[in-house]
Amino acid sequence: MGAIAEMGRAWASAGRTATQRLFLDRQAEFWLGELDPVRSLGEIRARVVEVIEETADTKTFMLQPNAAWPGHRAGQYTSVEVEIDGVRTRRCYSISSAPGDALVSLTVKRMPGGRVSTWLHAQTRTGHILRLGAPAGDFVLPATIPDKLLLLSGGSGITPVMSMLRDLAARDALHDVVFVHHARSLADVIFGKELTELSARHEGLRLLLCLDDDVSAPRGFDETRFVELAPDFAKRSTFLCGPGPLMDRAAQLWESVGASELLERERFTTALRLVPPVTSPNGVQVRFARSERDVVAEGEGSLLEQLERAGERPAHGCRIGICRTCKCRKQSGTVQNLLTGEVSSEPDQEIQLCISAPRSDLELDL
Amino acid sequence: MKTQSKNLTQREADAFGRELDALRQEVVADLGERDVAHIRQVIRTANRSEAAGRVLLHFGFGPMSFVLGTSALGLSKILENMEIGHNVMHGQYDWTGDPALDSHRYEWDNVCTGDDWRHSHNFEHHTFTNILGKDRDVGYGFLRVAPEQAWRPVHLTQPIVAAFLALFFQWGVGAHDLRIDELFSGKQTPAELGKRARPFLTKAAWQLFKDYVFFPALALGNAPRVFLGNLLANGTRNLWTFGVIFCGHFPEGVRVYDEAETEHETRGQWYVRQLNGSANIEGSRWFHVLTGHLSHQIEHHLFPDIPAARYPEMAPRVQEICTRYGQSYNTGSFQRQLRSVIRKILRLSIPGPKVGQNATQVAAEHAIPVGVSRVDSPVAARATAA
Repeated sequence: MGAIAEMGRAWASAGRTATQRLFLDRQAEFWLGELDPVRSLGEIRARVVEVIEETADTKTFMLQPNAAWPGHRAGQYTSVEVEIDGVRTRRCYSISSAPGDALVSLTVKRMPGGRVSTWLHAQTRTGHILRLGAPAGDFVLPATIPDKLLLLSGGSGITPVMSMLRDLAARDALHDVVFVHHARSLADVIFGKELTELSARHEGLRLLLCLDDDVSAPRGFDETRFVELAPDFAKRSTFLCGPGPLMDRAAQLWESVGASELLERERFTTALRLVPPVTSPNGVQVRFARSERDVVAEGEGSLLEQLERAGERPAHGCRIGICRTCKCRKQSGTVQNLLTGEVSSEPDQEIQLCISAPRSDLELDL
Repeated sequence: MKTQSKNLTQREADAFGRELDALRQEVVADLGERDVAHIRQVIRTANRSEAAGRVLLHFGFGPMSFVLGTSALGLSKILENMEIGHNVMHGQYDWTGDPALDSHRYEWDNVCTGDDWRHSHNFEHHTFTNILGKDRDVGYGFLRVAPEQAWRPVHLTQPIVAAFLALFFQWGVGAHDLRIDELFSGKQTPAELGKRARPFLTKAAWQLFKDYVFFPALALGNAPRVFLGNLLANGTRNLWTFGVIFCGHFPEGVRVYDEAETEHETRGQWYVRQLNGSANIEGSRWFHVLTGHLSHQIEHHLFPDIPAARYPEMAPRVQEICTRYGQSYNTGSFQRQLRSVIRKILRLSIPGPKVGQNATQVAAEHAIPVGVSRVDSPVAARATAA
């Protein structure tokens, strides 16, 4: 059996080499795309089937992906690549649909100054094609669903949590779930209608909304109110996603009662940078080993930002250390992780350009 | 005919360079959707033309469909090698982030490997353009295309050698980076050459298999027709690229440099050399596309990583700058430039003529490097990115 499998693999590999060498793969990809732009031999692409206005600044894009889509787990994110004035640009968004749903949905809040979110909101229509990345992320429901669950979210942080909620509902596993969501007002609650319907249908789901425009209540995450709403929070497996301040305060609360182990977090935005910006007046020399080039990186910000200022265009995605599109091997030199403050001086270490700051001349495998 | 360009002082050359840099910045800032739309349209045309050619060759009968099929296939090969392959591999579209237009990954339908090309062409030729002894594209090491090159008896045969090179141009290009000549000078051992040649030989074998075994075999009874059609399409592409490329660097008026005079070159002086080492060919919009815009060899050498389809709109601006700095801008019809190249190849096959005064004068001026900041490889960094 092993020998046959071995032979099969050898043949498949030879076939791939041959199609490449004869340019048949390139031809096939071209003609497939001419036939139907959503089709591709390897790229994950999806056709926009419907665009739903959730709130004033949030839209959901219902997508029909092609065969290359591997499926996702509730809570994961994917990258979306769009072409803005000829330039491919990528950002990561949480998937809001449940794994079993017929369509994949991405719920995107328009960020002020956000190139991709603004573009998606303004340009993307039914019938358009988006390029996606493989779903990724560890912020997922475990295989065995815990008895007691707590979902805690704020603003657009609801998206991965919604995927979990939908998954639980579809699997009829909403036995004991507390869902605490924070928003500016009722009109700003994404998926508001569906949430109300779900909580009406499932006795096991307790939906609690904390709204900023409620004059009698505190704004944002408030420990006292929260403990009143969910007194047994420390005994629940918790999934937390929201704006930085909410995440930080919640995490502190869990820590104070020694329950951090039960808390799973998903970050959307860059965490507070632990590392003070260090700028060397002359910049650092960055050597691209593969293309044998030298670039001077200088000024503030991550290595990615510095390289971009120097006219380079390294591949990148989320820019906040999540998607790993910009990861590359550092052959020599020292960088500091802007999120953790960790210093990497060893040769041959993998770094992410978007969250690394150069601390010496560098050699990168790019 | 000697170059009529005025010799610029370093200060003048740097001012000249700054003006070209400004033009470059202006175009870079304007790059966008239309550039991507253009190259995708050319890719589409090339693919459709190839498909049409193959269908006509494989399933057609009679001379008419053979001629049409071969022409369509030749056209697609010309577009793929020139406007798509050459330009994509220069990194002209790297800013798009489209993997299909990525200079490092692109492989062209040609026996020359992408990696060899990126080294010998993008780096050596575009950095050391027309420097005798450093730019191995000056006569490719076996043709005498400048009177400054020493005459050797072997150059008597160069009219015939050049004709052969034209017919088999892709093989010349493919073997160029192997530096076979270094075998004779002892700079390279046969073992080293063998190792170095492996990627080229592998690719060449696959190319031969593709054009002369795989596609003919697919055509069953029409195999001989397909074999011949592929041969003629490759030959057409060879002649065309040979013509275009020889007209870009070898017509009369294009000058060569020696190593000493370029040793302490500034970025501005690098620009001056690129300009005086290149020549343009005039023609229609489609002619330019078919040459991969190498008909704008001057603009290509000044701005190798700017999408080539931008050269026609940059050309009048470049020409205007050249006029102000007293630099000759070598341009002419395809016929004129080709005649000039042929005349030169014939004339230089025999000894002489005496090297003009112009070059020596420039050399003398450059010989005193006073406080010139050394620019190692000005745009070369960019060129190698490609």
